[in-house]
Parts: sequence; C-alpha cells; structure tokens
Amino acid sequence: MSEMKILDKTKLVEFLEKLMPDFEVTVPSYNNGNLSFSSMAHARPEIDFAGRPLVPPKEYFFPQQEEMFTFATKEGKATIKAHINKDKRVIWGIRPCDLYGIKTLDSVFLSRYVDSYYHARRENTILMGLNCNEPCEAGFCSSMGTGPFATNSNAFDLLFTNLGNQFLVEIGSKAGEELIERRANLFATASDEEKNKSNEIEKQCKQAFLYSVDQDRVKAALTKAWDDPLWAEESKNCILCGGCNFICPTCYCFNIEDIADEHEQNSTRVRYWDSCQLGGYTQMAAENTRKTQAERLRQRIYDKFSYVPARHNGAIGCTGCGRCTEVCPSEINITHILGILGRQK
Amino acid sequence: MKKVLTTCEFCGCGCNFYLGVENNRVVAVYPCPSHPVSQGKLCIKGWRGHDYIHSPERLKTPLIRQGDKFREASWDESYKLIANKLQQIKEQHGSDSIAVFSSSKCTNEENYLLQKLARAAIGTNNIDQCARLCHSSTVIGLAQTFGSGAMTNSIPEIGNADVIFVIGSNTSEQHPLVANQIIKAVKGGAKLIIADPRQIQLTKIATIHLSHKVGTDVALINGMLNVIITEGLIDKKFISGRTEGFGALREEVAKFTPQKTSRITGVPAEQIIEAARIYATGKSSSIIYAMGITQHTTGVDNVMSCANLAMVTGNVGKESTGVNPLRGQNNVQGACDMGALPNVFPGYQAVANDELRQKFEKAWGVKLPSKPGATVTGAMNKFIDGSIKALYIMGENPMISDPDINHTEKALKKLDFLVVQDIFLTETAKLAHIVLPGVSFAEKDGTFTSTERKVQRVRKAIDPIGESRPDWKIITELSSHLGYKMAYPSPSEVMDEIAKLTPSYAGISYNRLEGGGLSWPCPSPDHPGTPYLHKEKFSRAGGQGKLFAIPYRPPVELPDANYPFTLTTGRVGFHWHTGTMTRKDWALNREIPEGFVEINPQDAAKVGIRNKATVKVSSRRGDISLQAKVVDTIQEGLVFIPFHFAEAAANKLTAANLDPVAEIPEYKVCAVKLERG
Repeated sequence: MSEMKILDKTKLVEFLEKLMPDFEVTVPSYNNGNLSFSSMAHARPEIDFAGRPLVPPKEYFFPQQEEMFTFATKEGKATIKAHINKDKRVIWGIRPCDLYGIKTLDSVFLSRYVDSYYHARRENTILMGLNCNEPCEAGFCSSMGTGPFATNSNAFDLLFTNLGNQFLVEIGSKAGEELIERRANLFATASDEEKNKSNEIEKQCKQAFLYSVDQDRVKAALTKAWDDPLWAEESKNCILCGGCNFICPTCYCFNIEDIADEHEQNSTRVRYWDSCQLGGYTQMAAENTRKTQAERLRQRIYDKFSYVPARHNGAIGCTGCGRCTEVCPSEINITHILGILGRQK
Repeated sequence: MKKVLTTCEFCGCGCNFYLGVENNRVVAVYPCPSHPVSQGKLCIKGWRGHDYIHSPERLKTPLIRQGDKFREASWDESYKLIANKLQQIKEQHGSDSIAVFSSSKCTNEENYLLQKLARAAIGTNNIDQCARLCHSSTVIGLAQTFGSGAMTNSIPEIGNADVIFVIGSNTSEQHPLVANQIIKAVKGGAKLIIADPRQIQLTKIATIHLSHKVGTDVALINGMLNVIITEGLIDKKFISGRTEGFGALREEVAKFTPQKTSRITGVPAEQIIEAARIYATGKSSSIIYAMGITQHTTGVDNVMSCANLAMVTGNVGKESTGVNPLRGQNNVQGACDMGALPNVFPGYQAVANDELRQKFEKAWGVKLPSKPGATVTGAMNKFIDGSIKALYIMGENPMISDPDINHTEKALKKLDFLVVQDIFLTETAKLAHIVLPGVSFAEKDGTFTSTERKVQRVRKAIDPIGESRPDWKIITELSSHLGYKMAYPSPSEVMDEIAKLTPSYAGISYNRLEGGGLSWPCPSPDHPGTPYLHKEKFSRAGGQGKLFAIPYRPPVELPDANYPFTLTTGRVGFHWHTGTMTRKDWALNREIPEGFVEINPQDAAKVGIRNKATVKVSSRRGDISLQAKVVDTIQEGLVFIPFHFAEAAANKLTAANLDPVAEIPEYKVCAVKLERG
C-alpha cells in the first residue's frame, strides 16, 4: 500500500480543481484570520498552514446538527422520509490527529451497529491527510502515537508530507490510488532522497514538542485515581459550555430531538452534538448519574484513556490535539491533568 | 456551507463566532480564535443558544388585534394604521403622550434610528430602554465621578491585574469570558476579592469572600475606605493631582470603622481590614461589578462608592485597573451610546443643551423637544394616570422584565395604543394592538457595542424568516409613513450619520470595522480606539475625578414579621433574561427547565420543605409557586430567584422601589414569605 509519489507544490491546486466536477472539494482556508475547512468552490486552499482548524473535520461525517428524517401523518397515514447524505466529497489537509479521530469514530459508528447516516457520508468521502512539519502549541500527539506523522492507525486515502517545494504523497487505499491514476501526469515517483527528507522532517518535528505525556503511566494511574481530589480541583471553574466535547475529534455523543413545524403536521428528527460535561446529559429518573462536575471531568478523562482503549483493542481515545484546552473558558488544561496523573506513584 | 463571522447576541462580552449556514438555515457555530475576548472559547449560549432563530414560533407577518385575537395583516396596512393612530394621539394629546421603548438587543443603527424617530418624527424625548433596569445607575454614577458612564478598561487587561475585586457580579454565569480573564489572572498569582451574599463559583478561587448582607454595599466600601485611609494606604499623589472632594469623603468614611461596618454588613471586621489591604496594596487593582451594585435604590451611590475606592488608591487611568461595570445585554452599551435615553442624544449630548440640540435640529431638519422625557420605569405610572396614551416597543418584554409585573400589566392595559416589534409573540406582545415581526441578529447587518465599549460588526447570515423585516428597515418605513422620511441604503450609511453627530464614534465606519472592533472614544478615522479611559485626565468637565461622601442608606423594603425573608433576584448562565430565546433550545432548557428558589438548609427546615419541594413565595405584590433548591451557598434569611421564567415570574414579587436619580428598581431586595406549596 505504501507506494510514494511526488507532487510539485504548484500542482496541488490543479490536482484538487480537477476533482471538483466529481467531488465537493474541502480544504483548510483562512476566513478573517482563522483557519477552517471550507468548500473550494468559495475558498482558496491554504497550502502552507501550521496547526489545524479549531473545529475538526469530524463534522463532515457527524455534523453539529443533522436532519435524520422527516415524518408526517395525513388522513391517518404516516410517511417517513430519511435524509441520507451521499454527497461525494474530498477533504484535503486533514492533520494526523484528525485522521486518527475519524478512525476512532469509525470504530463507534461502523462496528457492532452500523449508523447509516455516518456510513453514507464516510463511504462517499476521500480523506487526504497532511503530516505536520511542526507541533501545534497545545498539542501532544507524539505522546499519543497519533501524530505528527500519520501511520496505518490513522485513516487516510492519500497522505501528503510538505517537503518544501513538493509534497511526498503516500497512497493509503484503492480509492486514493485511483485518484492519482486519473491524474498520473501530475505525479512522479518518489526517490529515496525525498523519502529520507520526509523522515528527517518527522524526526525534527517530534523533537520540537513542548508537551509530552507518558501514556502508560497515565493508564496505570487511572486504575487508582477514581477517588483522587484532582477531579474536584481541576473541574472547579467549569462553566458547562460543552466545548471540550464539541471540538474533540473522538467525541461522538449526540442527542435526538423531534422538531415540529408551526402547524405540527410535519416533524423532523434531528440529532445534535451533545456533551457529557453538561448536567442534563443522560438523565435517568430525572437525574444525571454523574451529579458533580468532578465526576463529569473524571468521566471525560477515563473515557479517553481507559474506556475507549478497553472497547477498541487498546487504541487510545485521545488524539493529543490540545483543542479541549484551547476552547475551555475555564482554563481546564488536559496536559496539566495528564501531567498530574503521570507523576502519581 | 457558508461561514459568517458575527458578534454574539447574548451578553455584553462581545464574543465573536462564525455562523455556519446551509439552505438559509443556521446549522453550526465555529468559535473565533483570533478574537481578543473570545479567543476561540464560547459559553454554552454561544455554542448552542441560537435554535430560536428557526423556531416555528417566530412571527412571520404583522398581526392586528381583532377582539381577543390577532389576524395576519400586510405591512402596508399595519404601517398606515400605526401612523394614523399615532398622528391622531399626537394631535389630540401632544407628542409627549407617546412613548417609545428601544432595545438593547437590537443594533446601534436601530437604536439610533428609533430615537431619531421618537425625537424627530414624533417630537418626544420619551425614549428609553432596559438599561434603565440594569445599568442606569452606572451611566449616571460614573458620569458624575469620572465623566464617562462605561467600563474604564478593556476585558483582556483584567487577565493582567494583580488584584481583582468582584462585587455584585456572578461573573462565571453572566459574563463567562470575563470570568476567563479572572481565572487566568488568579492562575498567574493575582489575588481575588469577592463580595457577594451568595457563594458564587468564583469564590472557589477567591483569596477572600466577603459575604455581606444585600444592600449594604455602600457601608462595606466605606468601611474598606476607612481602613485604607487610617492605615495610610491611599495614593496621595493621585488624590491631590487628579481628584476633588477628598476632605468630605474622609469625613464620611471616618464613621465607618471596621466594627461598625461589620455590624451593618455582617462581614467580620478582620475580613474588611484584610480585603481593604489587599485591594489598596495591589500594583494594579481592578474592580468588576454588575447588577448586584446597580439594582438598588442606592444604585448610583453604590457605583460612586466603587469609583471612590478606585480613585483613593490611584487605581484608574492605567492598564488592568479601573471600575468595570459588566453590561448585561449584547448592546446595552450601544443603546445608551445611541441616545436611546430620555435626556441625551447620541454620545450623551444633553437634549436640554441649546447648542447641542441645535446641532441635531440642523442635521435632522426639524425642531426638537428640549425637555427630558419619561424613563421606562417612570412611564409606567404615566400610563396609569393617562398622561401617556400610546407606546411603541421594539424588542423588550416588560411583562417579564419589569418590577412588580401585576402593576406593569395594569399600566400596559391602560394604554389606548400599544405596538410591539419583536421576533416572538411575547407576554408583552400579547397585549399589543399591532405586532410587527422583526428579525434576529442572524438576519441583518449592523453593529453591537460590547461592555468594553467595543463597536463590532453583526453580519447577515440568512434571509429574514417569513415576511419579517430587519428592524432598521421597519423603523425607516414607519418613519416615512409618519411623514418624516428616512432613507438609508443599508446600516452602513446609518453608521456614517452616527459618526458625523457623535464625537466618540466619529472615527468609526463599516470599512474600518472589517479589521476588527474599535473601542470608543474613537474621535477620528485614523484613531486606533481607546482600550482604557481617563489616562492623563478624566473625561469629566475640568478633567478632575470627583470623590463623593456617601452616607449609607438601607434598602427600602426589609424583612419583617409578615414577610420574614429577603428576596434577591438574578439570572442563571443557561438562560437569557425573559427566556424568549433560550427557553426554545433543548440543551439550555435541559440544564434548567423551570424556575427555582435557592434557600439555605436552616431556612428550609424552618419552612418545612425539602430539596425540590414546591414552595409558594409571596410578597406584598403577588405570589408564585416554584421548586425549592436547598443549597448552603446562600445566607440564612436570604432567598434567590432567577427572573427568566414566565410561569414563575420573580418580578411578580419585586417592588418598583426606585433609585431617586437613576430610577432603577431595587430588584435585588424585597421582603417575601415562604410556605409549603
């Protein structure tokens, strides 16, 4: 699978433009100084960007709100119309952390129970990853094994590495290979020198991380940390915004609501991103079983570092992207919490 | 998906985010990392609070009353009817028989146009908005002491303060991104003083919490000043160089020894001394307050006391210091700046000042009234005595937000003619003769001015719902029907007119705002804006700050044998004001679906109720039934009720006892009794 190609940087836009008749091509682009994924139909792709958009590309498979189906009753007869989105899409520029996030979501939405909404979107989307030349400010993906370079444990069809004037392109799937074959004239075969250059960039990037987390020590600490005072201490400023869950590449909880139209004849079932940090989440017999914010923060950390690995063959549930720290109005810092756990004996 | 950068429609923090739009629907929110206040962070209202935009309950056509019901009507018919009726009332009873309530939820441009309509088209200064109910005491108190009734410093500066004194602000719930700066400052070693009768969330990280009795703020601050003066912790150079009135202040606060202050406030003397020392010895000490200071019959006194404290210690006019009122609504600062107040034109230019009035007469081409008009609270009595016959309301809901709602209802029902322009058929709109459908912030262009005086763009993301129209457009069309032509191609040209007439906004234009917000004063097109005020001199006439000697006055309605508890009202972080927007969102409603009364465990035992039991709360004016929330974070003898919930409206209980100067109601103190429901 890992044949390597070379694409001249000046040819990237041409390559993506050629895909536009067949796909909605989605690229990172700046809007008023902020990076986000946008359709290339009305945004210029950012080729040399650092970091990642604040909202991860999970929303292309699991949107912030998604109309599942509409239903109506007329003269005693019920009708239901499902809204399965089968738009053909290519996303270029997905960072390894987010590729890993998508792989984690796959294991939730496509394993024991196949979610037809997620499945349709996922099946119709081609993922083009982009390795990181430098760590992002709050990131610790190298400690999680999810970045800064993608491996086979990240989901991708094509994987790009920025070598300066060129991209090294690794083929990760048949679908990715076909796209390259259709535009074969744009690509050359990569030399050993170019592959070595890529390895060198990876090595340097890994050395530049500000944060490192000892994953094994954290996992070991969690076996004894259930009653630790750290959960109350670290969660005391939480204002319950839900942001840490909303922007998490691996968070998948949702709530479902039926929205009636004004005449209450047609209703739409909509699912929305939900957050385990909210008091109203998963209420049973009128109460959230995790009554305090300390219990909810504990749930978030245990889920990523203990429950998800237990369910998915040891695969960690945190990508190390650092977004939850960045969006937190209460300055709850995941690397700080993991640092405390990592230091526990 | 289209992503439109805009300014949040909830609180005064002025966070920015992008609205994600598909098929003319808002379907997503993206935080804005480059924004200096929001920094890519949002509270849950910012993330989730916008579902009301597409609520099936949105008003989609004008409605005209027919008996007990409304019928749908055309815009043309509605305008003609309103214009005819208002003209008729004006001819029979004079211009001052008509009042207009503007909206601190609406844009600057809309507030500018509506006060222009009141003054130029109708000919009355009877224009006011809900700033009367939240920060009118700030506008007056800080204008008298400093010369400018607004937050002195910018929000990001708070993160660098050495000492932060939060009094009467539940910052984490009401201004989450200001709380973020406080948390950052404390993590960086700053000391935090909280004065609040409840243990708010920030008390968990406070250096000291002064749990004073509600309504004793003047005494508490006088007591702190007493310590500061006695212990020589004053800034002599600042007092002599930049202020006047110190002698009288010193004499007054001499009476407030820590022991006496302790007896009034219930705060131990040693805590008063400690707090005074911490505040006075900080290199940069910042005061943050909100409605715990303003909503009292001593609101103006409370505000001036905060100004005294800052000036005596030299903590104003430099970075990360100052007196920082946190304005509640997204654009309550702007609504005041735009002259939606009964005594001033835009930019706080007095209507009674001949020279200033003539400037506006020339610009607007019409003779203008010189007598200040009625306030929101004052107007209610004029509805009852019949001296005001007609009321035009844009985007306010006094049937939930005003004190003593039974009185409000009586007053509104007395009117010959009530027009309400809103996005929902609110409790107030239900009483109207004509209802006009305005639009949400997502459906129009404009600007909001945040609590830090920052003018920022609001950008149209979707087309108006149904036949609703942007509020600015409705005002211009109605004005033209009233015979006073208003024609603006877009809100941008309205801002150009504002800039021409308002010195503090003179340098502001839509073109410039594309590069980010601008904090007023911004007097010229090349001026970068002003993050903090009063740097070398105060904006008060003469340039000196004024210290006032302020005697302590207790609240008007204190508990007694019949009504033994003190009720204080406020808000929760998951809902917004009268709930018309936030109570339509599943996530916000799931957090707090109904009203509640917070009560101390000892009091609950006395009343004989358990947590979640139904309680009947009554005052001299009315009663409501709601759920008890038994918590140990509230003082004995005190109960707290948020005012968002129409079915358990706290304002059925509150009293319209007003500050004598600002006419702000004492929402924070009234006497109630509790019974098992």
